[in-house]
Amino acid sequence: MTRVGGAIRVDGVDLSFPVRGGGRLPVLDGMTLEIAGGGIVALIGPNGCGKSTLLRVIAGLLAPERGTVDLDTTPIVEPDPRIGLVFQEPRLLPWRSAADNITYPLELAGWPPARRSKRLTELVDLVSLDPGVTGNRPAELSGGTRQRVALARALALEPEVLLLDEPFSALDALSRERFDLELLRLWERAASTILLVTHSIAEAILVADRIVVMSPRPGRVIADIPVELTRPRSIDDLDAAVVSETAREVRRHLGEGEAAA
Amino acid sequence: MSRPAILSVGAALVAFLLLWQAVVIVSGFPPFILPPPAAVLGRLATAWTAGTIQPHLLATLVEVALGFTVGAGLGLIAGYALARSALVERLVSPYLVAAQATPILAVAPLIALWFGPGLAGKVVICSLIVFFPVAVATMVGIRSVDAGLLELGRSLRATRRQILTTLEIPAALPSILGGMRVGVTLAVVGAIVGEWAGAERGLGVLINLARGSLFDIPLMFAALVTIALVGIVLYLAVVLVERRLVGAR
Repeated sequence: MTRVGGAIRVDGVDLSFPVRGGGRLPVLDGMTLEIAGGGIVALIGPNGCGKSTLLRVIAGLLAPERGTVDLDTTPIVEPDPRIGLVFQEPRLLPWRSAADNITYPLELAGWPPARRSKRLTELVDLVSLDPGVTGNRPAELSGGTRQRVALARALALEPEVLLLDEPFSALDALSRERFDLELLRLWERAASTILLVTHSIAEAILVADRIVVMSPRPGRVIADIPVELTRPRSIDDLDAAVVSETAREVRRHLGEGEAAA
Repeated sequence: MSRPAILSVGAALVAFLLLWQAVVIVSGFPPFILPPPAAVLGRLATAWTAGTIQPHLLATLVEVALGFTVGAGLGLIAGYALARSALVERLVSPYLVAAQATPILAVAPLIALWFGPGLAGKVVICSLIVFFPVAVATMVGIRSVDAGLLELGRSLRATRRQILTTLEIPAALPSILGGMRVGVTLAVVGAIVGEWAGAERGLGVLINLARGSLFDIPLMFAALVTIALVGIVLYLAVVLVERRLVGAR
């Protein structure tokens, strides 16, 4: 499945937050980034550099003080149905079953129950969720299953862009690798543009076409490193020489950024 | 309710009745001051079969139902406004606290004077007493809704109304129902106070009649037992609703 749309263009975005006692804390400084439709880009940077903030700006949840964000040719000024967002924590509604959490966006969008039910079946299959747990409440699900539900919810409206804010950071290393591979499989099927915020260089290399390194706050792009790994990818690819080289380059830029700060 | 739970409730009731009987025996009070439990239960049975209690019970239940509905409804609206508007909180809070700090017993005669001895006055008193706990519980519940869930709602382009109905109210429900638990028992207190301030029917009126012109202390106790049972049943009804809506989270 090839998708033409889903290109993101972030152009000169500045954003700051008010701080207690007056003044403002600059978080993004002239942030510029282009992602082709259907691509996977990993965003990496030190804590507090504005990665999650950038994701919220792209998702239309935060308005930049300066600069623009476009999805294809449309400026993003508010949340857009073409953009799906997965947060670091699953943010499931504890009073709803897994199935009702997945179909929540469809319910908000006014889909009739029969259509929601059909889409639910597709989504459960898409994210490889055990159909036996769809009636369970979030408290009855494991951490990985909860994140799977959150992923299915983000994909419910077939977004052209999937923004992932460290979605697997709470999982153990093995589960995380498994989820990274599943994300790739999902990407192949859903063909969305993916922007993944991560702290893991290995995860970034395994998943992305490009790794964008951000400077310490206020965040801006200090490096844009292509990942020279062929697709489809597997865990074994992490042993390739090119991976070490890419990882070294990412580390070097992260180190330079911190030294400059 | 499980079998052990039923047994423990039954055991507690038996213990209470035994304690009551023991107090009667040890204190030596005559039955017109402290009747033994058997006399009260017997009087309750005869009053019930004679149809003495039912009209009063019905009147009180109507007052409680209407008062609770109005008070809880207004409490929900006010609580939401207090939670979401700093201006409303600044302007309204002092009056709410002042109203809550004023004993309802002191206000009841005034309300009876304004609204007369009919149903309206009782409903107003019940509403007043129910309003505060529900409003405060709603305010606390709405304020403690996870900001992450609200952001999720915004990211999914939920309308203001959808955020209210699908996120804020369900998330605040445990707190709101906690306020309603308190409110529903206070509604019974409000109805009785309202009846004392002036009424022709109601369990409060029956207590006054039993204590005064009838001088039938076991009947007075029977009315008190009925009031207690009404309170327990209403409380349990809210608990059941709570378990159904919240328990499985």
